[in-house]
Formats: sequence, C-alpha cells, structure tokens
Amino acid sequence: MIWFLQYNIRVSSQPSGTEPGLPSLIQFDHVTYNHPGSDPSSPPALNDISIRIEPGEWVAIVGANGSGKTTFARHCNALLLPTHGQVLIDGKNTLQFSNLSHVRARIGMVFQNPEDQIVATLIEEDTAFGPENLMVPPAEIRERVRSALTTVKMDGKKDRPPHLLSAGQKQRVALAGVLAMQPECVIFDESTAMLDPRGRLDVLAEIQSLHERGITVLFITHFMEEAARADRVLVLNSGNLVFDGAPRALFADQALLIDCGLEQPSTLLLLNEIRGLNSQLSHLSPDFEQALREIPEYKGSYIYSGRIDPPPDSETLIAVENLDHFYLRKTPLEQQSLYNINLEVKSGLAHGFCGATGSGKSTLLQHLNGLYRPQKGEVRIGDFALSDPDVDIKQVRRFAGLVFQNPEIYFFEQYVGDEIAYGPKMLYGRDGLAKRVRDAMELVGLDFEKFKDRVTYTLSGGEKRKVALASVLALQPRLLILDEPTAGLDPASRRNVHGILQHAQTRGSELILSSHSMGDITELTQNLTILSNGRSLRTGNTADLFNDAQLINEASLGQPSVVRLAVRMRERGWPIPQRVVKAEQLFNALQTMNGGQAHG
Amino acid sequence: MDEFDFLSRVPLGQYVPTQSILHRLSPLTKIIMFGALMIAVMFTPSRAGLIAGVVIVFLLLLLSKVSVGFALKGLLAPLPFLLIIAIIQVFLYSSKLDPTSLVSIGWFHITFSGLWAGGMLLIRFCAIILLLSLGGFVISTSELLQGLTRMLSPLNRIGIRTMDFIMIIQVTLRFLPFLAQSAERIAKAQASRGSDWGVKKKGLINRIRQVVPMLIPLFITSLRRSENLALAMDARAYGIFNQRTSMAEFRYTWKDAAGVILSVMVSLAIFIV
Repeated sequence: MIWFLQYNIRVSSQPSGTEPGLPSLIQFDHVTYNHPGSDPSSPPALNDISIRIEPGEWVAIVGANGSGKTTFARHCNALLLPTHGQVLIDGKNTLQFSNLSHVRARIGMVFQNPEDQIVATLIEEDTAFGPENLMVPPAEIRERVRSALTTVKMDGKKDRPPHLLSAGQKQRVALAGVLAMQPECVIFDESTAMLDPRGRLDVLAEIQSLHERGITVLFITHFMEEAARADRVLVLNSGNLVFDGAPRALFADQALLIDCGLEQPSTLLLLNEIRGLNSQLSHLSPDFEQALREIPEYKGSYIYSGRIDPPPDSETLIAVENLDHFYLRKTPLEQQSLYNINLEVKSGLAHGFCGATGSGKSTLLQHLNGLYRPQKGEVRIGDFALSDPDVDIKQVRRFAGLVFQNPEIYFFEQYVGDEIAYGPKMLYGRDGLAKRVRDAMELVGLDFEKFKDRVTYTLSGGEKRKVALASVLALQPRLLILDEPTAGLDPASRRNVHGILQHAQTRGSELILSSHSMGDITELTQNLTILSNGRSLRTGNTADLFNDAQLINEASLGQPSVVRLAVRMRERGWPIPQRVVKAEQLFNALQTMNGGQAHG
Repeated sequence: MDEFDFLSRVPLGQYVPTQSILHRLSPLTKIIMFGALMIAVMFTPSRAGLIAGVVIVFLLLLLSKVSVGFALKGLLAPLPFLLIIAIIQVFLYSSKLDPTSLVSIGWFHITFSGLWAGGMLLIRFCAIILLLSLGGFVISTSELLQGLTRMLSPLNRIGIRTMDFIMIIQVTLRFLPFLAQSAERIAKAQASRGSDWGVKKKGLINRIRQVVPMLIPLFITSLRRSENLALAMDARAYGIFNQRTSMAEFRYTWKDAAGVILSVMVSLAIFIV
C-alpha cells in the first residue's frame, strides 16, 4: 500500500527523458533522500547524487559513520525510494511497483548484522527463502540451495540452527541466501565489520570470485585495505558524493581523507613513512605485496638497538588453570567451548586475546569477571577464587569491569548521565556519584555539562561507544576487560578509543582485551593469548607471537603488516629488532640506523 | 551455576534434528497427529484416558530420540503456576459433590475427589506442555509452515492471504531463541555494571527492580531487530508475489497414512475410555 502511494505521488514530478542507448545496471539521477518525518530544513541523507554503475564493476563505498553509505545502498534495491530524482536498475525505475520483482532479483544485499537477516530456523531453509519468494520451482530451489551453500562452504552445517553459528558462518549463510537468488549484483553493507580476520578474508575471497564470474559488487566498508581492492571507490560525506574514482587517487588526497574522517590503508601509510626514512627504500612500490618483494639487501653499518624492556616487578592479576566450559550444558545442543585453558595475566602488562570467531574468546572473557563460574578447573581474579561458592561475586565484578561487544545496544536510560551513573549507584550508592560520573566522562573525553543531559539514542556511533566505556570506567575497576572495543567504528573513532584506553592505563587500569583487529592488539597490548577452537595455543609477548608465522597461521589469523615488513627486512639483512610490532618501533629502528650512518 | 543460561531453559520451539521416525513423517501428518492428541488430552473426561495419554506422550518422546530429561526441563518454569492452579482447583472443587471432607480449614474443605481433580489438572497441563515441546522438537519451523500452508490453502480460494499469517508464525518462532539470547546478553552486560544478576536470589521486589532495566533494552533490540529483519525479507523479494513455492516437496507414504489413522484412533480411545 505504501509503495503504491509513493508511486502515485512521484509520477507527476518524475523527471522525463532518460538518455537513449544501453541502460546502466544501476543509475542514479539527481537522487535526494530525506528520512521520513525529518525536519525539512535539516540536510538530506542523500543530496543530489547522480552516478552510473556498469555490470561487472567492483565498487567500494566509504565514509564516516552516518555519512549516508547505507542509505545509498538501500536505494539500489528499492528498500528506500528517492524523495527527489530517480533510480533506474537496467533502465527500470524503482518507483514502479511492477519493477520490484526484477529489481530485488537482480540486486541482492548482505547486511551488517548477520543475525538480523536469517529468517528460517534451519540454514538450508533460510537459503531457500529468496528463491521461494521468486516462485522458483522446488527442484530448482534445491539445486540452487545446494550450490550456494557449497560456494560459501557451509554445506556441512546445513542442519544446524542458525542462532548457534559463529558470526562469520552466519554471514556466509546470508551470502548463500542471496546467491541462491542468482543476482546480477550483490551489495555488501559493512558485511565484514563483525568478522574475524580470516572470516573477512573469506568474504573478500567470495567477493573476488563473484567479481571474476562477472557479478557486480557494491561493497561498503570502514576498512581502507578492503576498499583498496576495488576498481572504483565512492566517498560519501554528510550525504554528498565527494569522490568517485580509483582507490589510488583517493588515497593520494590527504586533505579529502581527513575531511571525511577516513585514513590511508595502514600498509600504504607504513610504506610512505619508511620510503622517507631511508634512501635505499625510497623507490618501493605503493603496492604492499610488490614492495615486500622489492626490499633491497641492507647496505650500511650495523647498529643494534635491540633494547628489550626488563620484565616489570608485578603481581598476578588473573590465573586460569585447566578451565573447561560447556555451552548449553546437559541439553541435546551441548557444545564444549573451552578446553583446558591455562594462563596468567600480570599487572603492568596489557593482555590481549586473539582468535578466530568461535575460538572461545568471549566465553573466556566472561569467566574473567565472574559472569561464568568455572564448570571445571579454577579461575582466580586478584584475591578471588571463582570456584569458591561463597565468593562475593559483586566484588569480583567491581574489581574486573567488562565492556561487552557493541555495548551501546544495552543502554536503557534515556540520558547519558543516568546511563553512566547506573553502575556506581548500584555499587557505591549516591555519595559522590556526580563526581564519579564526571570523572569517567572526562576520562573518555565527553564534556560533563554538555553531554550529561543528552538523550543516548541521539548520539553518534563513536559517542555512544564513549558513553559505554565511561559507564564501566565509572566503577573504577582495577581490571578493564573489553570485548572487541573498536568493532563497527570508523577510522577516526577507532583512533579515539585507542587514546581513551591508553589514558585509562596511565590512570591505573589494567587492560585486557579481545579483538579481531590486529591494530587494536599491537597498539594496546604487551602480552597475548592466542586461542583456537576453544584451546589456548600460546601465551606470551605480543611481538614474539606475531613474529611466529606458523603459529599465526595455525590460529587462522593474519600477521600485522608491520610484522610482515619487519620480517622481510630482517631476511634481507636489515638490523630490525626482533620485537617490532608497532609502526613507530619500525620507524624508530630505521631512524637509529640513519643516526648510525651519519656518525659512522 | 549457569544463572545466565537462559537459552537452555526455553526448550519450546527448538527443533532438534535427530532424524527419528517421527521427524521423517510429512508435516501435515505430524500436525494432525499432534493436534488430535492435544485435543484428546485436553478434553478427555476420564482418568484412564488421561493416564493413557501421558503414557503415549512418553512413548512418542522415546520415539523422537530427544533426551527425556531435556524435555522435562521445560516443565520446570511453569510448574509453580501449575501447582497454584491445581491447589485452587482442590479447594474449589470440593464442597459440592463429595461431602466427606478429609481436612477442613474454615469454609474450605479438601475432599478426596477434590484432590483427584487437582492432580488430574496438573497432569493434564504437564502432558499438554510436553506435547507442545515435543511438537517443537520434531516439527521444524518450515515443516510447520508447510503443513499449515497446505491446511489453510482452501482459504486462499476465498481471497484470504494466508501467506502473511504463516510468516507471522515463522518469525515468532524464529524470535523465541533470540529473545532468550538477548536477555542473556543484557543480563550479563548489566551484571558487569553492578546489577544483582547471578549474585543471590533476594526478595520479590529486588527481582522486579532487576528486571525493569532489562526490559527496555530487550524491547529496543527486539524492535530494531524486527525492523532489520523486515528489511532483509524485503531485500529477498518477500511479498512481491501473492504466493511462494517451497523447497521441500513431501510425498505421502503408507507411514503417513498409518500415523494419521493410528493417532486419530488413539485420540478417540483416550477420549472414550
């Protein structure tokens, strides 16, 4: 009914006369979109966008949180209809209801949150949902489902209920559901945001193969490395299309990147920096893989600055011994999620947890503040032994504050100040409450007076994450445990969160975090535990573990690009210290070399 | 121990693919079987019939190869309510028919037949709940929907769009385990921020105070999720045509015929005995 009304309203003002010739796959003609019910004077979500996308293209769409990427994508498959202007798919106007089945069948979409797009209670049935809607005959649906699930390598799990799959697996199922509709174009709306590095590579490999089969790909992402793989990048900034061109041209334009809250891919940043630091490296290709091959033999004096920090004098904060855990214990769906975990976390050394989705990171983290009690084995947090039935679990949680993944979805107060005050009020009462809230807000960089009465749901993605951090920091926990602290954030907000956490560290909080982002781990942690399939593969110095290519591979992780570069340079004789894991460490090493050359 | 394991407490609406003989029957057969048994157990006036019904429920449970313990767990949550209803029944039933009271408290008399009635009611409800969960174990959502689609298809001819009605059931069933999971995550997030989840069971008022902050995010996440789900369904071309095809085609075999005839006969027997 709504479609019909919108169609009737639009017909009269439809711009007439599209160009003759072969229609583009996707064509936007002066598309402007205002969110329904929004203030007409406020800027539109999309502002006068005209663009054509041809069959077979691989287009990345980037922009800060809230820049209109998703709104743009939803116009391509008629989930949203333009307020002004028109969108043509194969020359067919999305405003016309009779074109809808064509548009939906041609343009498939994989959403960000894998859980929200699964309709049926079994994987196989979910994959069949689209073709069933398109009235495909049963025998052909079965064939399509089989081939789609094989393509995404989920054919072995087709009988499992979707809510018990990992995020990466769910996302592959969602893609299978789209592929079974045999679309001409697939839109990925931040579909890699919730995936681990391997899951992300898997999805990217799927995209590559779709691309090779001639399927058009529209790919929305916050990861510049991923955008760099596309043929063409669109940049949106506050609803305006501000760039349309090759990735290389975009990443050469520093001013535009900063203006749009973006950044260069970290590999490119790295190469640009080291090219300037050493004349022998100045000719390296901007392509990372190419550059690795081009690194020359080192010619220069050897000055070793392999300073290794002495182990600080520290106490044991966390000790986990022989920990097992079963999910849905004593039900037919029981699954063991942790196997014989042993580890120790010392004060003064931020500790990271890495591993593919389903490796048991979240389950383990939830043992570290007493949400789970050990079913078998022992967990000691500070002076608390969690297997002791009389342990004061509230004190454990006060000692070890846990910030959940996507914490902002659990907000329940209307105002920022109340949200942050909830925890300290429960634990410390009303005395000094305002000061605790104010301190926590200052720690995360939110002005107390300006933000305390803001409505939580009107905040931006980055601000919400800050409120969530503040709401745990206000408990003044000794341990600050974070599950995926930067998931779903744009590059600028990610850097912001790093800054907050480092600041919290200087104020005496001990950091413990799990992350899929190698950047989070290398920037923030000194020690690392690598988990795989519920088992702990190794615990040790972050740099040492990342330098162990075999171990990283076994855990289905990827080596950070800094480490790959350092390893390659060492192979070619460069005096790069063993424990290089951050970009600055590599730059420092190169600078010391220059100093050595100058004096020698 | 597992204060947060909400999911395992909701066996209702959880399909357990054990590939038993019950699973392999056609959806329509299963719906008729469970429907007939349900009606019989619900309305049978006789004690013998009810006992027979309970025995048959357990036989079916064994046939389904789903662990009996897991199924019985589903009774734990409603049990207090059932007990209260049964006790009320004991008191209300007594006075009229059977004047020989066993115990008298003021105006209330507990009689032998009253106790029987309370017990019957308790057993009846337990049997119904077990049947419902068993239905959930052996009838997958899409089977239920296909069965219903077939049952309701005559309505399409008189111009009623049954597809949407069936979709409503499907999404509801899909959301049940999700709600449990969301509740679990919210409770955990709030416990991490100092609420009393998983600490100790305190009085009723404290329990309520603890639930209120949970309801708001639960509603909001549910609404947001239903919006996203609606978008995802739209994107996958739901509702463009007035009908849908189905991946699965079911052939009716002698097993289905036997299942239907047997279950209808058993139901009649339960009713008449």
